[in-house]
Amino acid sequence: MSAAPYKPSRWEFQGVRLWHAALLGGFVIAWVTGDEDTYAMHLFAGWWVAAVVTLRLVAALLAPAGSPLALKRPNRNQMLTVSILSTLALTVLAAFSGIAADVAPFLEDPHEALAVMSLWAIGLHVLVAVIVFKGRQWLRRVSAALVVVALGAVPALAADPARDAIVAAYAAQAKQQDAGFSGFSAARGEALYRLRHTVNPEIASCSTCHTDDPTKPGRHAKTGRVIEPVAVSANPKRFVEADKVEERFMRDCKSIFGRVCTATEKGDYLTFLINR
Amino acid sequence: MKRLILATILSVAVAAPAMAGGDWVAPVKDPLTLKECGSCHMAFQPAFLSADAWRKMMSNLANHFGDNAEMAPDKVSAITQYLTANAGGYRRGVSDSKITDTAWFARKHRKVAPEVWTRKDVMSRSNCPACHKQAEQGLYDDD
Repeated sequence: MSAAPYKPSRWEFQGVRLWHAALLGGFVIAWVTGDEDTYAMHLFAGWWVAAVVTLRLVAALLAPAGSPLALKRPNRNQMLTVSILSTLALTVLAAFSGIAADVAPFLEDPHEALAVMSLWAIGLHVLVAVIVFKGRQWLRRVSAALVVVALGAVPALAADPARDAIVAAYAAQAKQQDAGFSGFSAARGEALYRLRHTVNPEIASCSTCHTDDPTKPGRHAKTGRVIEPVAVSANPKRFVEADKVEERFMRDCKSIFGRVCTATEKGDYLTFLINR
Repeated sequence: MKRLILATILSVAVAAPAMAGGDWVAPVKDPLTLKECGSCHMAFQPAFLSADAWRKMMSNLANHFGDNAEMAPDKVSAITQYLTANAGGYRRGVSDSKITDTAWFARKHRKVAPEVWTRKDVMSRSNCPACHKQAEQGLYDDD
């Protein structure tokens, strides 16, 4: 018997892959249909997961030793064994607790907890599998890509190229208007923001509607309309559309100051709120 | 077939009072109008003023009830086009350009106590959504 080691066929490996796909697919469907509105589908997906796991266990019992379908594999990494067992156990418990909760509603909370734990276990299982199956290089590449994405995303929230272009355009204008222009100032922008004018007694200052703290939502002093925060840190959608920014400056400068603002004033104001 | 008939009867029964009551107006669908008009106040439904009143208002945005609401000329004409094409008819037919000054508005709000208008969360007669939570969808049937 032990003369020649069992040589698994291509189909057994395909079977294992297909089984992974069926299980993950069922889990994903169950996860996204957890809402009451899609309960029939959720129930179906739960039964699907239970059936797929059961079939897998039957296949494992029937498979010859050495087949990838068998439960025991030679030289299997211990970390992977733990990961497989915990993922399977949690998924099965999640599925069957859900089926039980259909008739015994008090099981709903434990079912949800098990589902959340299964999701974590699945994520860890993927990670372990990648590491164990000579995927270190691949993992390194993926994590490098993730780091790049993360590094790119963080400043992207604060520094939008469109926003930079708007400030740059005002800087170019400011140079034209004033030969002695030497850059924008957040301090001057803040002073402008808080300065009170007498042109329009109902709206004396930017802060009348935008409040003293630009990171807080404001309220239009005349219409009562809620205004989202103007500070970029609190509202990343601010100052990314050039014509909208210019339109607001035109309206609000005329309404509050009774005149148009200079390019320097606009740039100072933006600099203040971008860094706020 | 039976179901279809039942569904039709039911939906008419539900929709009819809202339509007949006059507390529903077609909501603003034009994205430019929603964006431009909606930035300082609710984008009011075009049916609330006559075409003449909208034209008068849109030709004087530099002084929009005391504030400046100017915008690029192409936006002005596109919005005017939308507002006048969907303007109200005889029922609210007033040439005045302030919705809250119309006799119709006063009649509709005659039971509202004066102090309500000055409440901090209301502030203005033009702040429809303060009381009519679904005003932006054209539903005013919640008084």
